[in-house]
Amino acid sequence: MSMSKKYNFFLIAIILIFPAALSAQSIHIPPHEKVAFKNGLTVLLLEKHGVPVVNFIAMVKTGSAADPPGQEGLASITAQLLRKGTQKRTAQQFAADADFTGGSIETDASADFSTVSGEFLNKDLARGLDLFSDALMRPIFPQAEADKLLAQSLDGVRAAKDEARSVLGTYYNAYLFNGHGYGRTADGDEISLTKIHRDAIVKFYEAYYVPGNIILSVAGDFQAADMKKKLEEVFGQWSSKPVTPVKIPVLPPVKGRKLLLIDKPDATQTYFAIGNVATAAGDPDRVAIRLVNTVFGGSFTSLLNESLRVESGLTYGAMSAFDPRKTPGPFGIYSYTKNESTVQAIDMALQVLQKLHKQGITAEELASAKSYIKGQFSPSIETSKQLGQIIVINEFYGLDDREINDLEARLDAVTPAIAQQVIQKHFPTDNLVFTLIGKSSEISAAVQKFADKQDARVISEPGFWPAPAQK
Amino acid sequence: MKKNQLRMATLAIVCVACLNSVGAAANAQEFPVAERTLKNGMKVLVQSDHSIPNVALYIFYRIGSRNERPGTTGLSHFFEHMMFNGAKKYGPGELDKVMEANGGSNNAYTSQNVTVYQDWFPRSAMPLIFDIEADRIQNLSFDPQKIESERGVVASERRSSVDNDNGGLLEEQLWATAFIAHPYQWPVVGWMSDIEHWTIADLKHHFEMGYSPSNATMVVVGDVTPDEIFQLCEKTIEPIPSHAPPPPVTTVEPPQLGERRLVVHKPAELPLLLIGYHVPQTNHPDFYATNILRTILFQGESSRMYQRLVDKDQIALDVSSSVEPSFDPTLAIIVAQPKQAVDPQKCEKAIYEELERVKLSTITDQELEKAKNIRLMEFYHQVRTINGRANTIGTYEVFSGDYKKLFDAAKNYAAVTKEDVQRVAKAYFGANNRTAASLLPENDEKAKQ
Repeated sequence: MSMSKKYNFFLIAIILIFPAALSAQSIHIPPHEKVAFKNGLTVLLLEKHGVPVVNFIAMVKTGSAADPPGQEGLASITAQLLRKGTQKRTAQQFAADADFTGGSIETDASADFSTVSGEFLNKDLARGLDLFSDALMRPIFPQAEADKLLAQSLDGVRAAKDEARSVLGTYYNAYLFNGHGYGRTADGDEISLTKIHRDAIVKFYEAYYVPGNIILSVAGDFQAADMKKKLEEVFGQWSSKPVTPVKIPVLPPVKGRKLLLIDKPDATQTYFAIGNVATAAGDPDRVAIRLVNTVFGGSFTSLLNESLRVESGLTYGAMSAFDPRKTPGPFGIYSYTKNESTVQAIDMALQVLQKLHKQGITAEELASAKSYIKGQFSPSIETSKQLGQIIVINEFYGLDDREINDLEARLDAVTPAIAQQVIQKHFPTDNLVFTLIGKSSEISAAVQKFADKQDARVISEPGFWPAPAQK
Repeated sequence: MKKNQLRMATLAIVCVACLNSVGAAANAQEFPVAERTLKNGMKVLVQSDHSIPNVALYIFYRIGSRNERPGTTGLSHFFEHMMFNGAKKYGPGELDKVMEANGGSNNAYTSQNVTVYQDWFPRSAMPLIFDIEADRIQNLSFDPQKIESERGVVASERRSSVDNDNGGLLEEQLWATAFIAHPYQWPVVGWMSDIEHWTIADLKHHFEMGYSPSNATMVVVGDVTPDEIFQLCEKTIEPIPSHAPPPPVTTVEPPQLGERRLVVHKPAELPLLLIGYHVPQTNHPDFYATNILRTILFQGESSRMYQRLVDKDQIALDVSSSVEPSFDPTLAIIVAQPKQAVDPQKCEKAIYEELERVKLSTITDQELEKAKNIRLMEFYHQVRTINGRANTIGTYEVFSGDYKKLFDAAKNYAAVTKEDVQRVAKAYFGANNRTAASLLPENDEKAKQ
């Protein structure tokens, strides 16, 4: 088992949404092409030769934020069932065909979108494309497979709850967004997964898996003209129909302070998240936010990690992250510490946040963050898979290649004064939402001081937040 | 992640270039590696790749928890943390600050066998990185205050990865039971009471024992030329004197003579099952056939174990297997996540039946070809980035004895026959050679009473 979680745990969203800086002026995203099919499908093609692999991503512009309340997990279950039986293949045949090539077909659902991804050696392109399109266009959602998957997913939620760090973000987002679509637990919960039936899955698929609601990104070792022809043959006849987009209202930041304590009676360490609703993808301040967050909690030498780990030894890691979405998503400070030092660590995190507001960041810290983001950028656009992800996410959020090609200049343009404005505008101060998972009997009295409004649950109680009975 | 213990347990890392039915594709992935052994004994491997203006630099030290003693378990890993806490030129906290300010980042991991330091940086930071590495290899300082704060960090790491993680907890118990003589029996992160009691003298001794340049291999991949790296090495690394390597680990684990079983009782939503089988070390000829066997049994939803436990019997959520690269005979570990209230023994029975099936009749041609295709794709995954290539080259060099074996792996996998797979199944995956570890939720047990 791998024990490394510190950096890749929360930062994935950021890396995708803020394609960062450039390490040299000459680095640009490779040229790519955008094609609109007659049926409404948007196709992005990016050639990258060298490794003989082709990557496909179909991004369906609807995700778990569209799950009906009480049926959390619907988008995710729908996506996972795509490869569990099609008009051409049973689930077993699909797995056998996909595995035989050494390639993969994966599905996922996050708040804003659902994805089907495929990766194949170019010698297996025909078979890979057939599998990929089979999952996307011809799933039949067999009842038996739906039953199996729902039962497994339900136990998957229980298994996740056995490890506090793996559900901290889920509880935090659910409590922070409190019934808003961005608080929906993408994987569902112990109650909601029993309320999802096949007809709802089919309805979700039919409503959203339509060409006009999909961006298809293809990146890797191929010739674009040739690939376009192949895609036209495969997807050109997919019939279109109108889609009603899901409206995701803007949730203003929470006023005041509230605290949710999840009791995990066997915990020897408290895991905590602190923050508020923050920014949307495409926020005009996004580059400066990324810079300030790098200084505050986005790197090993950040103010948070320096205080909580390097100087005091209270924790193995402390960090902060923005998760920008279609409308404002969460910002959070995340860390953990042994039961006895829970209050000390949270106090310290709050002090670092206050200090950020009072003192801002130094010119030296700002310069270091610029170098760091630039210097670490190139490896994030190294593979065709990464490039395929970046272009599809930019397209989804209405961004373009300037996110990458101009980023160095945009970073350079951020002055300490601009950084100070960004701190005041985007980093919370007094209005804070706390979520803690830990041993209540040892910490509950002491952590009451952090908020006027207190909520409590036990980790073994079904659901996350709100409690299912309250729905 | 940062400076932590990392049990590289995935198939992917075990590094497996693979056979290839399309020769052209494999050739496209062969890359020239320049090598030089410095006068102090450190071997340096360089692979130029100018596709991005960045560099990945790995230093593998042949020292890990297998070189420790009872009472100071976890010392290699703790020492790894201390390598970031100040030397002569770059004092406490300065290493990370100066590296980030120059666009670089770093990490490290410790296993039972090795301690590996990793730097990722833009080409422009190259002289700085060599200066930092040379400084800490020869002039590490041991600030008593840093030792105390870092002790807290490592204790927190242990709480996260073992004490509050059912998988980590059960795996620790599994190794401690499967090995009775050899040092693989204790955890890389160390027992908590050892973490609390290391002394500065222990650290100094560890440094003197393990950190001779002759005990290390450096791998540099990226926007560099071999000549410039060798020149930098001559200036910064070569003058560092060498000394004796760690004493050889002479303890040999005696053959296991019967099944061992252990149970962990704790509050949990779900039970958990781990089964360990003693298998040979990485440089053993059976390495390839064992990997093919594990691929057929465990990898992908069409694998035998997934089909049986997850799809057909529906008694588990997931079933997988892993082997770490190792110098000494190690464990192949099977992990099954039973569904709620399913007795882990039910999963055990299904797993043992599937293992028997492989022993009774050979796998199919189709399965063999599938396994080889999966290995090929994994190979591409490992070598498609400069970082992955640095790790892969170093892993082959250190564990297989020569980085060039990386390029033979395709041939070695191609040579595996159905009969080889059957033979290794019989040789290593028998009842007497296994340790079965179950975690049983206390709440379930209480409910039953």
